[in-house]
Amino acid sequence: MKKVSLTLLCFVVLMALGCSNDAQINLNVSTADKNEQSAKSVSSSKDNTGKLQIESNGKEGGTFRRLWSDPPTLDPHLTKDTTSAGIVVEIFSGLVGLNTDLELVNDLAESWDIDSTGTIYTFKIRKNAKFHNGKKVTAEDVKWSLERSASKETASPVAETYLGDIVGLKDYMEGKADNIKGLKVIDQLTIQITIDAPKPYFLAKLSYPTSYVLDRDVVTAGGRNWWLENPVGTGPFKLTEYKIGERIVLTRNDNYHLGPIDIYKVEMYLGGGQSMAMYENDEIDITGVGLFDLDRVLDPQEPLNKDLVVAPPGFSISYIGFNTTMPPFDDKKFRQALNYAIDKKMIAKDVLSDLVVPAYRILPPGFPGRSENIDGLGYDQDLAKKLLQESKYSDSSSRPRITITVPGTGGTLGLDLEVILEMWKQTLDVEVEIQQVEWATFLEELDREALQVYAGLGWEADYPDPQDFLDILFHSKSAQNHGQHSNSELDNILEQARVEQDINKRIELYRKAEQIIVEEAYWVPLWFTGEQYALIKPKVQGYVLTPMTVPKLSKLKISE
Amino acid sequence: MWNYIIRRLLWVPFLLLVVSFITFMLFRLGPGDPILVILGNKYDPKSQSVQNLREELGLDKPLMVQFANYSINFFQGDFGESFRYRGQSVRKLISAKMWVSAQLSLAALLISTTIGIPLGFFIAHKQGGWQDPAIVTICLVVMSIPVMVFVPVLLWVLCLKNLWIPFWSGIPCSGWGGLFDQRIIVPALSMGLPGVAIFVRLMRASTLDVMKQDYIMTAHSKGLGQFVIDTRHVFRNAIIPIVTILSFSLAGLIGGAIITETIMGIPGIGRLAVQSVFDRDYPVIMAITLITAGFFAIANLLADITYALVDPRIRYG
Amino acid sequence: MIQGIKTEPEMDSFQRKGHIHIAFDRLIRKKIAIACLVILAIIYFSGIAVDWISPYGYTDQDYTQIRQSPNFSHWVGTDRAGRDVLTRVLWGVQNTLILTFVGMLTGGLVLGVTMGLVSGYFGGYVDGIIQRSGEVVSSIPTFFLILIISATIRPRVIEFVRWVEDNSFLEGLIRGGIVDYFVISLSLVSFGWIGTARLVRGQILYLKETQFIDAARSIGVSTSNILFRHLLPNAISPLIVTVTMGMGSMIGAEIFLSWIGLGIQPPRPSLGVMLWESSNISVIRTEPWLMFAPGSVAFLMVLAWNLLGDALNDVFNPRTY
Repeated sequence: MKKVSLTLLCFVVLMALGCSNDAQINLNVSTADKNEQSAKSVSSSKDNTGKLQIESNGKEGGTFRRLWSDPPTLDPHLTKDTTSAGIVVEIFSGLVGLNTDLELVNDLAESWDIDSTGTIYTFKIRKNAKFHNGKKVTAEDVKWSLERSASKETASPVAETYLGDIVGLKDYMEGKADNIKGLKVIDQLTIQITIDAPKPYFLAKLSYPTSYVLDRDVVTAGGRNWWLENPVGTGPFKLTEYKIGERIVLTRNDNYHLGPIDIYKVEMYLGGGQSMAMYENDEIDITGVGLFDLDRVLDPQEPLNKDLVVAPPGFSISYIGFNTTMPPFDDKKFRQALNYAIDKKMIAKDVLSDLVVPAYRILPPGFPGRSENIDGLGYDQDLAKKLLQESKYSDSSSRPRITITVPGTGGTLGLDLEVILEMWKQTLDVEVEIQQVEWATFLEELDREALQVYAGLGWEADYPDPQDFLDILFHSKSAQNHGQHSNSELDNILEQARVEQDINKRIELYRKAEQIIVEEAYWVPLWFTGEQYALIKPKVQGYVLTPMTVPKLSKLKISE
Repeated sequence: MWNYIIRRLLWVPFLLLVVSFITFMLFRLGPGDPILVILGNKYDPKSQSVQNLREELGLDKPLMVQFANYSINFFQGDFGESFRYRGQSVRKLISAKMWVSAQLSLAALLISTTIGIPLGFFIAHKQGGWQDPAIVTICLVVMSIPVMVFVPVLLWVLCLKNLWIPFWSGIPCSGWGGLFDQRIIVPALSMGLPGVAIFVRLMRASTLDVMKQDYIMTAHSKGLGQFVIDTRHVFRNAIIPIVTILSFSLAGLIGGAIITETIMGIPGIGRLAVQSVFDRDYPVIMAITLITAGFFAIANLLADITYALVDPRIRYG
Repeated sequence: MIQGIKTEPEMDSFQRKGHIHIAFDRLIRKKIAIACLVILAIIYFSGIAVDWISPYGYTDQDYTQIRQSPNFSHWVGTDRAGRDVLTRVLWGVQNTLILTFVGMLTGGLVLGVTMGLVSGYFGGYVDGIIQRSGEVVSSIPTFFLILIISATIRPRVIEFVRWVEDNSFLEGLIRGGIVDYFVISLSLVSFGWIGTARLVRGQILYLKETQFIDAARSIGVSTSNILFRHLLPNAISPLIVTVTMGMGSMIGAEIFLSWIGLGIQPPRPSLGVMLWESSNISVIRTEPWLMFAPGSVAFLMVLAWNLLGDALNDVFNPRTY
């Protein structure tokens, strides 16, 4: 959902889990033990050598360590980036959520019911759902949370995106109403939400933190920083320590409504640093493998190779976008020619060491709703040259200047872009100037739709529905359509698909839409994240690498 | 003298106001909108939620009003709240990180001085020998290594289980544990070693100057031993100019650790400063700029005062 | 004729030539200084001439030669895109050369010296204003200032240059990097001028106490003449030393700027960018040449300037004991 530049892909630590090095001696004289753990391993520590410790039940399960960054916020209603979301989904929860297979599942809601018009959702809340402070979760809490999320005081930038389909929400946000009409509390454990049209992706949107349930007293009492002082949620973990810039510690919630959890503690180090080195030094338990370490780690002789885990590709795509109102990109053949001239396979393999998968279409592999039979624009030099000749801009001397703009905060242009530019020059004699601007300026120009060609961006799914990709990026009225792409046939199809109830028909509509988009060559789709490699310490079990941010830490087990 | 001090002190708020105005204007008039940065490329900036956000952050008011509000709050000690870290008070954010940077700078300064001052003193006595040029050259060599090369090399040597140094299992590579934690070694070294050169030269020059003085010759002729002369007279007098620049060094180091902090993942003020400029996190930018400016002004004043105290020939009108 | 008894203007020029001449002689005798000059000359010359002496362009990508360690056809190896590292390093040197010289000349010398002269000579109000504004600018953390200027001014400058390119026959300005040079030099300049100004001012204040200024005035020498032909030459020696020593930090500043991403834009190579890509442990282990090539060249340049400055310092202020 934010920029996913190649350089970032290579350098950012994706995930790390850790097992504490300074473990303590836990000679468990086990008494009534909810988790029924057998005695943990005995390892020495400076303080507790030899002493018999009768630990309380709550402390077994082990600790994980991973690297993370300072989240901009931990308030679920203000969350909009993965750094915050990764922690928020473990501390808080909403009516529905996504599991590690990215399926929509019940969370706080025990069940839900949709009426025949497809616009009225009735949720029954679990009886055993409690906040971390012991209070039971009621329908009033849900209503209050949703209203708070959309309120003017909260000023959440994403409320409209995720909750905007609820009837009466916009009025409430503008201050014209003092409650949301579409929210109705039926009884203590039942709440009804009415949306403005039968949109099947509404539930998927509801899995996002914007709709998570909060404790009204805690939030009102805590003021603006309530989540720093007292983040009371309903999720599998409690936030027990947060030192800005240093670390975050999550501790198991023993009253979790979805069942008991094995792992005791998760420690996240916020300072950053060289993750590979830390992993090798046993300071953290999981690390992503960057471009430069890949060869070493893939070598079967290397002891680290045993820890290697392959992660499924993420649901994100990086691309080059064309502004179709600015010449020479108003000519479809020219755009197509540029597409055909790139040898993506070679770049993915040789330059980027297979960390990416070439993309010839928009939806990533494995994405729900993706149809198989879409023809993309592959590598064909002759066809590229031919199309160039047929286009209006075959003559390089009369062609308008082409500038590609990329955001550059790290100081380097993605290698892939440099190679692509070179290919365009060699095959088609098309010269492109690069302009690198820093992120804030880039965003501003992007928003003004002033960029002729833009790259260095990625688009990551927020919820697993094709609408999040195809509609939001290519509908002519969408704000994220930075290239001013406008095609009325496409618009019609997309609008139909928004409210189509029949799943198969809907998939077919999106297939047609994607085919049009690919043919029109509004973009050069570049890469889907390829197989990501990660190293996980063998004692950590149950860690699932997922293409989107979903709660997953509750499934962890540490075995010694 | 007091007149002078008071006048200089009065100048500081005015300086801060001017600095804040310049910084404020440069950013507001330049490209980049913090709201857009907050949204990333994913959300519709024209939606109602964003409009609410804009009002909440005070960005919808006219520029001069914003500046006036900011200044009034600033002089009362309220630095506002960060844009990127929504809701967190800038003051808390910065003070935590400044404390870290201060510790790091202190450690680095300790290294620079404990190595540099004695070395400078030593080679001042060895004029004409090989030690003087050799040591100065070594210092310059260390000073010339680009930081962004020095740090990874140091990490490579010290942090990993290294085959070249037996029995060395490496110290942790990243993160921060405070002044007395071993993880401070690498960053403090990378910042402190280049600084040795400065202190060596200063101490050398200062010592040489002192040794030339008549009163040293008098001491010699009185029959005092070399060691006594050194400790009681030469060293004490030679060190005075060093002290005056210490405050500068400290102030300067605080900002200068950006590269080290980024590579090593230390939660200091340098990284925050860079990040906040790219994020257009105005409250943080303003606060850092003003605080640093204030530090420098005070350090400047302190240095000038110390100078005057020490050298009675200098008078301020 | 006995040396030394000359008329005023001649004595002046004798002093000037003699004093620098003497210094130069001493310098030549210092072997270190020679070594430094030679190293700098080699590096800079290769940087300037790289277009002619290198068989590779800086964007030439040879996909069969990716990540090669140093060998016969690529003396320092290749990077991830098959580009010759040595060529890129030398182009980076060229960039650094242009930027630091321009920065030092305009900021350090032209701006700094003039400000210092004016400030010192006229004193009073003028002095006050210049000093105060210098303080203001210098109290904004240097890095911030550079960052701010680059982030805010560059896009505007680019727009302007683009307009110029479109409306005139001038071509390829942006591609040639002019915008970058201008913006970065501007940033480096703001970093450089105050130190020199203060130094020159100090010298002037000192010299004002002496009599030869009064003497010159009394025979009617004009103000600018006084400034430039009389005062300046005497302030030159500490100036030379400071400037030389300052070149080291200037180079450092330029590398830092491109390291953060505000320097010369790709695909023009720059040392800072090459270092950014390669300065982590993983790279050092597998492809050390990617870091050591730009790193050692940067190191040598800075070292040479620093040593040279130190030698010059000794030469102008000899301490004979």
